[in-house]
Amino acid sequence: MNKERSSVFSGIIGNNIVLSSLMVVSPVIICGDTLKNAAALVYAFSAITFLSVLISSFVPKKLSYTVKVIIYAIISSLVYIPVKWAAQEFFPGAVERIGIYFPLLAVNSLIIFRSEAELYKLPKNRMIIKLIFYILGFDAVMLTTGFIRELFAYGTINGRIVDVSTPVIGLAQPFGGFIFLGLFCGLYRWIRSIVISKKEEIRGDADVSGK
Amino acid sequence: MTKTARKERLIWLDIMITLVALELMSCFYYGLRSIVLGGVCIAVSLITEILCLRLMNRQFTADDLTCTSDALIIALMMPATMDYGIAGIACVFAVVAAKNVFGGRRNIIFSPAAAAYIFMLTSWEKKLLLYPQPHMRTGIFDEPEGLVNSVSYVYNTTGKMNYTDFELLMGNFSGPAGSVSILMLLIGAAMLILRRDISAGAFLGTITGTAFLSYIVPASPTAEIRYTFVTNMVLFAAVYIISDRRIAPKKEYYAFFYGLFIAVFSYVIVLTTGKENAIVIVSVLFTPVSLGIKNLEKKIELAHIEASETAAENFSAVDTTVIENSDEKTEDTSNE
Repeated sequence: MNKERSSVFSGIIGNNIVLSSLMVVSPVIICGDTLKNAAALVYAFSAITFLSVLISSFVPKKLSYTVKVIIYAIISSLVYIPVKWAAQEFFPGAVERIGIYFPLLAVNSLIIFRSEAELYKLPKNRMIIKLIFYILGFDAVMLTTGFIRELFAYGTINGRIVDVSTPVIGLAQPFGGFIFLGLFCGLYRWIRSIVISKKEEIRGDADVSGK
Repeated sequence: MTKTARKERLIWLDIMITLVALELMSCFYYGLRSIVLGGVCIAVSLITEILCLRLMNRQFTADDLTCTSDALIIALMMPATMDYGIAGIACVFAVVAAKNVFGGRRNIIFSPAAAAYIFMLTSWEKKLLLYPQPHMRTGIFDEPEGLVNSVSYVYNTTGKMNYTDFELLMGNFSGPAGSVSILMLLIGAAMLILRRDISAGAFLGTITGTAFLSYIVPASPTAEIRYTFVTNMVLFAAVYIISDRRIAPKKEYYAFFYGLFIAVFSYVIVLTTGKENAIVIVSVLFTPVSLGIKNLEKKIELAHIEASETAAENFSAVDTTVIENSDEKTEDTSNE
């Protein structure tokens, strides 16, 4: 039971879609250079993915895989239209700043592949919880990346100047994003391996004492 | 100590000697600040390397001191008045992102110093490309004043060179701290090539490519071949970045073409865009070429080994049949 519960909640840390599976990395690398961009992307990704996966879950499972994927793409493209209108209201200028990566979120791999391979096999309520945690995992990475890159690249936090003596402009550029995300992934996997090995140690000790 | 480990350490020592000589020349022109800058780079690199090795559960050995030569190369590519913080960040970047992320000193795919230089170029271009005049001393903790564009920039944009050959040879012109001392660079290159510390093929390829193109397509009517070598860090990059044995192809023949291609591309970039020190950028962009050539070398080596093994097997098979035949003959003669 505990295992099942942890697998549902694992989307945020243990099985993060960006850090663990390297999904939806291009918006994080290219556009995640400021907190404003990150917030706009978080909104767009969360809204598009949640609604699209939820609506797509009603597509009959009997259909062939190719047809289903096409239907998922059409649904997410339709969901994209109102999300974009709302983004223009709530995040003025964000759609232009983010450019092509904004519409590309409509066909992200969580909607197209992960949902079919994993989410639609679960009961509806578990699927929704798992989906929310996957989305929260992406949001956490996006906001952290946006915050750190903005702070060190421009010396600001959400546009407000902070006293950073040597801003590293390169961090705001795509190559800086690649390097930052690579190091972030490395750190995440290192911490995860330590946690897993400690858990196994504890389990091993428990087995020995049980015997 | 194994033979290769000893060789690696001797190479590092030789390179350090030539770099220290350049550092001393830089101290002569720009004062103690350039020595302090070099010291900061070495200290930061060393600490970062130790931390990285700790995180990878490896021990720090004398072989890992190669990070100090990379640090000194970074220091010598910067203006002597560079901000210490920027120099430190560049060294951390070189050790972490350009070296240890790829698996450490045995898996280097491009020069960490060149990668750090490009990183600085994208982040602090103005600070990196403004230099003090020779003999203008800046205090160790003073803000630099009266910075000017480098001679490379003036030569790239106007095609003019207002310095005598003696001044050029001695490095008495504005530019990166260590890469302007042409005489010292020539002596260092000769020493390193004779002691086989750098790839002679890559060095000659770079020099040949640059000389050939600057003769065929001069940058301006007044341009001369020697000016191409003293500007844009061509000689410095040829010795310490392109000819680095860790990166250049092993066989001199392949290394020659590797250096030649880098020289040709960087010359074309300088000629068409006027981009300063393009050779450093091109050397990093040519990483796939170097890796491809190295793969080819490995395949050729494997093919040679396989061929020699099959030849040896065939020879031993022929040998045994000859022995068997001769045995049969001796038996026949004895029967008779």
